[in-house]
Amino acid sequence: MDLYLPIAEVSVNAPLLMALGALVGFVSGLFGIGGGFLMTPVLVFLGIPPVVAVASEANHVVASSASGVITYGRKRLVDFRMGGVLAFGGVIGAFLGVEAFRILRLLGQADLTVALSYLIFLGVIGALMLSESLGAILRRRRGEPARAPRDRRPMWLYGLPLKMRFPRSRLYISVIPPIALGMFVGVLSAIMGVGGGFILVPAMVYLLRMPARIVVGTSLFQIIITTALVTVLQAGRNQTVDIVLATVLLVGGVIGAQLGARASARFRAEELRALLALIVLLVGLRMGLGLFITPQDPFVLAGGGG
Amino acid sequence: MDTAPPPLAVSAAPAAVSAALTETNVRVTSGFRGAGIVVYGAVLDPHDRPSDVVVVVRGPDQPIRIARKVRIAGLWLNSRPVVFQGAPGFYMTASTRPLDQIAGFGTLRRLGLGLDHLAINAPLEQRTETRYGVRDVVVSRLGADYLDWRRAVLRLKEKAGLYDADAAGVRFVDKSLFRAEIRLPAEAPIGRYQAEIRLFQNGQEVAVRERDLIVEKVGAERALHQFSQNRPWTYGIVSVLIALGSGWAASAAFRRS
Repeated sequence: MDLYLPIAEVSVNAPLLMALGALVGFVSGLFGIGGGFLMTPVLVFLGIPPVVAVASEANHVVASSASGVITYGRKRLVDFRMGGVLAFGGVIGAFLGVEAFRILRLLGQADLTVALSYLIFLGVIGALMLSESLGAILRRRRGEPARAPRDRRPMWLYGLPLKMRFPRSRLYISVIPPIALGMFVGVLSAIMGVGGGFILVPAMVYLLRMPARIVVGTSLFQIIITTALVTVLQAGRNQTVDIVLATVLLVGGVIGAQLGARASARFRAEELRALLALIVLLVGLRMGLGLFITPQDPFVLAGGGG
Repeated sequence: MDTAPPPLAVSAAPAAVSAALTETNVRVTSGFRGAGIVVYGAVLDPHDRPSDVVVVVRGPDQPIRIARKVRIAGLWLNSRPVVFQGAPGFYMTASTRPLDQIAGFGTLRRLGLGLDHLAINAPLEQRTETRYGVRDVVVSRLGADYLDWRRAVLRLKEKAGLYDADAAGVRFVDKSLFRAEIRLPAEAPIGRYQAEIRLFQNGQEVAVRERDLIVEKVGAERALHQFSQNRPWTYGIVSVLIALGSGWAASAAFRRS
């Protein structure tokens, strides 16, 4: 069953897209990531213009994250205050990132920036997470006690001014690190066309030392705010949001996210992290591969690249 | 021009061509998977001289940005992109024989006919200078590579199914009646198309007909597209509300089950 997309101006297979949306939604609900880093490359591969893929995918992420957040929120597993502070930084970062990306596109280096960002950030984060979570799994198998996370929390986190209480996360820290983290993720999300959950989740676990159970819902909450903003900006500025494409994706996405949020209770945290690390690493390597392989055609259409 | 011209008594009566499209409006709906445009017509020549027919369907112009992959420090990077202006978004030719057998190089070049002679250029890369005492010579900064770039534009467009040349696309179904079918893929741009039907005799163009063709979105596709163009901010907010609403609906539905 083919469907013509009015903004992308291409025709796509609707059931295939719906299934892909559900799969990415499942991953999103399971790990607390938007799933944009998986979906955007797939959409481009299916022949949808990159600018439309990035913008419409942001809208799809809004839907699946909303679906997940409500489920986590009901279990009181969302730190709305921390999410709000992160999103504040994210909003500033998104504006900066959109501007930076516009300049890169004019220079024709958008493709390179996207590929390099994927390779570096996904590669590094995937590798770090994988080694950490595999270590945790091995320790548990050997019956050794898990390392106490508290004693490794960096001291500078407490030395900064503007402290704020985050009761849900059992934290009393300066708002500067979360805002800076949100900004950094906002810039990346504008450049890579992703929600940034794959950076936020590990950063909240390892850097801010938030309780792991709270991290997923909180990350989804901040992702909703930034991706909703990105959707409106993209639609208003570039007219690149394809509402039909987003709707097809989100029908599968919201259902997948529900199943994912339920399934997450059945896995151990370190096993989940190992799985996510593997996915992140593979996508990063796949996206970066193009930099090293001799291209079949030395010329490419420089539409925008994202 | 559906009626034959009045018969002329002059022996050197010029040949004429008459043609029409079966469809002048291609309607793009949600089930759009491309369309076939049928051109039919007749060669009107009292002397029955051997004739060749070339049908060209040209879509609205779409500037093309193209970059070349260059290897720097082991990495394949994009060069600065070059913009080709005036390249049609869609360009198909159908003819009775290969174009280079129908007419000579000069004629084809003058008419800008066929993929090899299609006028597309990169004006930003060009400047005029005085060479050998001749003023206003157009020089391309792409230099000798210019042809590589041009060929790449054609190759990428052909791969996307938007440019093609069918050297046997025009068939004579009767003595002077011909028919051609041009395939319009779903990716073809929206807008006003021109179909040119050119009649060649003895290597020269002797008659030409032009027909307009409109590819337009209709129904919901048109409404959504216009909504996104005319009220982009409202459109964005509506998109987000739909997303939030469906996220909420899904979680509510799953809570009950």
